[in-house]
Amino acid sequence: MAGIFFLLSTGLIQAQEDAFRYLDSIEKKYSGLKDYMADVNVHFDIEALKAPDMQATLYFKAPDKMKVESKRIFFFPKEGGFFNPFLFKKKNFEARLVERSIYEGRKTVKLKLIPMNPDAFNKGSGLTIDVDRNVIREIKILPSEGREITAVIDYGVFDGFDLPVHIHLQLDIPPSEPGGTREFQLGQGGKRINGRVEITYSNYKVNSGVSDDIFTEKEFPGSKSRPR
Amino acid sequence: MILFWFEIYKTFSRWRTYISFGFIALIVILTEVVMKLSANEILYRMLRSFEKDFLIFGNVLNGWFVTAFIMNSLHFHIPFFITLVAGDIVSSEATSGTVRFLLMRPPSRGRIITAKYLTTLFYTMGVVIFLGLVCVSLGLILFGSGDLIMNYQVPVMRIVYVPEADVPVRMLLAFAAAVWSMTVVASLAFLFSTLAENSIGPIIGTMAIVIVFYVVGNFPFDFFRTLSPYLFTTYMIFWQRCLDNPIPWQGIAKSAAVLGFHSIGLFSIAFAVFNRKDIKS
Repeated sequence: MAGIFFLLSTGLIQAQEDAFRYLDSIEKKYSGLKDYMADVNVHFDIEALKAPDMQATLYFKAPDKMKVESKRIFFFPKEGGFFNPFLFKKKNFEARLVERSIYEGRKTVKLKLIPMNPDAFNKGSGLTIDVDRNVIREIKILPSEGREITAVIDYGVFDGFDLPVHIHLQLDIPPSEPGGTREFQLGQGGKRINGRVEITYSNYKVNSGVSDDIFTEKEFPGSKSRPR
Repeated sequence: MILFWFEIYKTFSRWRTYISFGFIALIVILTEVVMKLSANEILYRMLRSFEKDFLIFGNVLNGWFVTAFIMNSLHFHIPFFITLVAGDIVSSEATSGTVRFLLMRPPSRGRIITAKYLTTLFYTMGVVIFLGLVCVSLGLILFGSGDLIMNYQVPVMRIVYVPEADVPVRMLLAFAAAVWSMTVVASLAFLFSTLAENSIGPIIGTMAIVIVFYVVGNFPFDFFRTLSPYLFTTYMIFWQRCLDNPIPWQGIAKSAAVLGFHSIGLFSIAFAVFNRKDIKS
């Protein structure tokens, strides 16, 4: 019995170490990435969100600063929409190697990440990592509260860094409580937010010295530029 | 035409006519100031279904959104202001004892009632346009411009995004539709006004019908849902569809036609009643 337990626990520890080895490789690969800015185009194909394509400029500064600047109203997916190679820190997650596989003809590994903080909104993610390029090809937000999000990322090389040129998001999100301006109307109620979001990145400027000032909030006359 | 201008002069000579304009200005100013102070709460209520999964940047609470919000809140109350004049325009002649003098003059009864009806429509249009002008001008001053985000609950919950460049035209359409909707309320009050000899009855009668129809049409029970297509109030919110994306032209045309038939029907009855009105007793 003790032998089986020993084998299982050593196997688990081995799986954890392997998982972090892949995550460390990604972090190491991008250690020279201090910041980037890029033009973003978001195309929605969601029945519950009728909107034309939206454009903005996205700023990222390592390790975790992100800002979107748009002259117009801009909706941006909270999860899987932008690229931060430093997101999956050892101290924040329990990681496990699930399987080794071939993804679009390339050698990949699948990892399962569970946040250490039990109150975290995201209850866990599945990552598919291209082990030759050390890039995350797919992020699958593990189903929780009926939510399912999958992001498939295509990369291009910009100043020596693999950065996303296209993120294909598949969303399946349960409806929230109705609210807003039409509460007196009784319709069919909530509907799942179900559909695709295509995010295209272009005109990258890498390590151009993005100022910290960009990430400070500015107020618009009626609302705020910070994420609502 | 002279009769029409004469009726306009009479209507706009009464202080009662200006109650609506005064209250609308007051309500809009109060609402917009309060909205300015509690912007975050309004935005939270409006966007909470999307905030969990989307970051939302930009000036969501802009003058256009505020205008749509107020229109949405007030379309229940505006009928009352309209009935104040529409319910009084014919019956006041009986109340003040001028109906006999009016009908003894050369213009036919048909021309007189038509002039009064056109005056009612002119006033109705004036009230809605005034609401639009106050909302938009104050809204743009206080909140700035931007794209319009509408949160629809029917037929299913969804967010609709109208680009800023399209919003002024959409708003014009929406206000034109609102005028068209209110024409039915005005026509109903006008009909009651031809039937009554005081103003209170037409005002209360019209409001009672509008309120009952609104309530019945919105009850979430199958029985009431089957009644809903037969109530004119169901079609009165078609101005909202002008802010939808894409614009559901077929639905708009259907609502406009139904409301148009109601207005014509109600005026026709009023016309017939007035032509047969006994003024000797």
